[in-house]
Amino acid sequence: MAAPMLELKGVRTAYGNIEALKGVDLDIREGEIIALLGANGAGKTTTLCSITGLVPPKSGSIVFDGQDIRGARTESLVRKGLIMVPEGRRIFPGLTVLENLKMGAYLISDKRAISQDLEYIFNLFPILATRSRQSGGTLSGGEQQMLAISRSLMGHPRMLLLDEPSLGLAPIVIRNIFDIIRKINRENGTTILLVEQNANLALMLAHRAYIMTTGLITLSGTASEFLNDESVRKAYLGG
Amino acid sequence: MNFFLDLFMSGLTKGSIYALIALGYTMVYGIIALINFAHGEIYMIGAFTALLASMVLGSLGLSGWGLLLSVAAIAAVYSAMYGWTVERVAYKPLRGSSRLAPLISAIGMSIFLQNYVQLAQSPNFLVFPDLVPQIDFLAPVARYISRTQLVILLFTVFSMVGLTVFIKFTKMGMAMRAVAQDQTMARLAGVNIDKVISATFVIGSILAALGGVLIGCSMRQISFYIGFIAGMKAFTAAVLGGIGSIPGAVVGALILGFAESFAAGYVSSSYKDVVAFIILIIILIFRPEGIMGQAQTQKV
Repeated sequence: MAAPMLELKGVRTAYGNIEALKGVDLDIREGEIIALLGANGAGKTTTLCSITGLVPPKSGSIVFDGQDIRGARTESLVRKGLIMVPEGRRIFPGLTVLENLKMGAYLISDKRAISQDLEYIFNLFPILATRSRQSGGTLSGGEQQMLAISRSLMGHPRMLLLDEPSLGLAPIVIRNIFDIIRKINRENGTTILLVEQNANLALMLAHRAYIMTTGLITLSGTASEFLNDESVRKAYLGG
Repeated sequence: MNFFLDLFMSGLTKGSIYALIALGYTMVYGIIALINFAHGEIYMIGAFTALLASMVLGSLGLSGWGLLLSVAAIAAVYSAMYGWTVERVAYKPLRGSSRLAPLISAIGMSIFLQNYVQLAQSPNFLVFPDLVPQIDFLAPVARYISRTQLVILLFTVFSMVGLTVFIKFTKMGMAMRAVAQDQTMARLAGVNIDKVISATFVIGSILAALGGVLIGCSMRQISFYIGFIAGMKAFTAAVLGGIGSIPGAVVGALILGFAESFAAGYVSSSYKDVVAFIILIIILIFRPEGIMGQAQTQKV
């Protein structure tokens, strides 16, 4: 079996004196979709921020592509293809849709690649093409989520870290977004680490899943195991 | 009517110089929410560099427009290096600490630079050479606009246009806007925040240096202390216009320039600062975020 693309071992992260991660272990192989589930405050977002260097961990190891990246600068990880779509989408409100997309390609210097990527994005989400001159802050929640994912694709991700992509969206929009995530995974081979509150939805999409409780991974298995396990369903998936 | 026009022109040129300085305050605040109290000193260093450069280049035989432009260029480069260094030395090490720490460090930097120039150059006012060449076509309208005023307006307009093009159409300009709006997201897009912050200081310092050259040309004397007063005024202008807003800084600076000029003309020159600050207080009572600033919404 090939070495995992991303491997966390004993990762501990703290905000001041409050330890949010108490030794997280998880691994992701290339091409997988992994769901990271758990209640509010379990440490899911902190796990993503620890990986991307936004909140540098205190100890443990994070290995991406065979290199220890713990404490590396966020922009150097973006360059390696480790790209995060943060919770709440964080569109630059005063930049146009097109500028938001170009920000996603900030580290790409090949102009032709950028215009090809734009064409690909506008095919994927035609609504973004019609709104390309509008400022990002004027988009609806669903459009902003499309833009956030598109912006991350502009940076040529090899692994996408998606934080709560369904948050605050209508069910029909969520289905559309999840279809696109599956498509990105299948067609581009992009590995995906998905943090979700909506566990049922995430398990339909993911290959494997981890469940976090108060800063630790407490359960892991394949998505179908979770979906079929009566006790897991009761405890985590609302029956 | 002539008196009014005189006051108008003097307010416009004064406001232009305030605007060049105020842009540095507002851009730095927009990016890292810091009031860079040492910014007035960068302007003062620009004026001193211009004085020294004009003596050296003048003795080498340079004159006319060539002298003025090369003096301005040297002052801009030199001040840019100071601005860059100030950020590296006094602000960058404090990033991530409490918001008061860099503020204190900024005040310290301001005092340090003032005293440094006082000791290294002179504690007295120094005569600044008349760098603006004769402009022949101005002769018929010389009663309304002096050659120095024309040069101040031209420099200012070119700087504003240049800055606007830079911010709107270059990659670094886009990154600056992105960092100002959401620093974390900019990092996640791969932006090296440190570079963007440095670039902001460099650009602000270049504009301030041009202001320093122009004030030298117009007042014909400079001292180590000019940065403090002009810095205060420009900071006021930036707050008036809405700190963080680039067009706001220009509008605020022009309002301040006109207010001072008309107050000096129609009331008394000793009341010009009083009127300027009364306007500030009135505007801030009714629009605390400044004329073009965006209201801060607190997230709960």
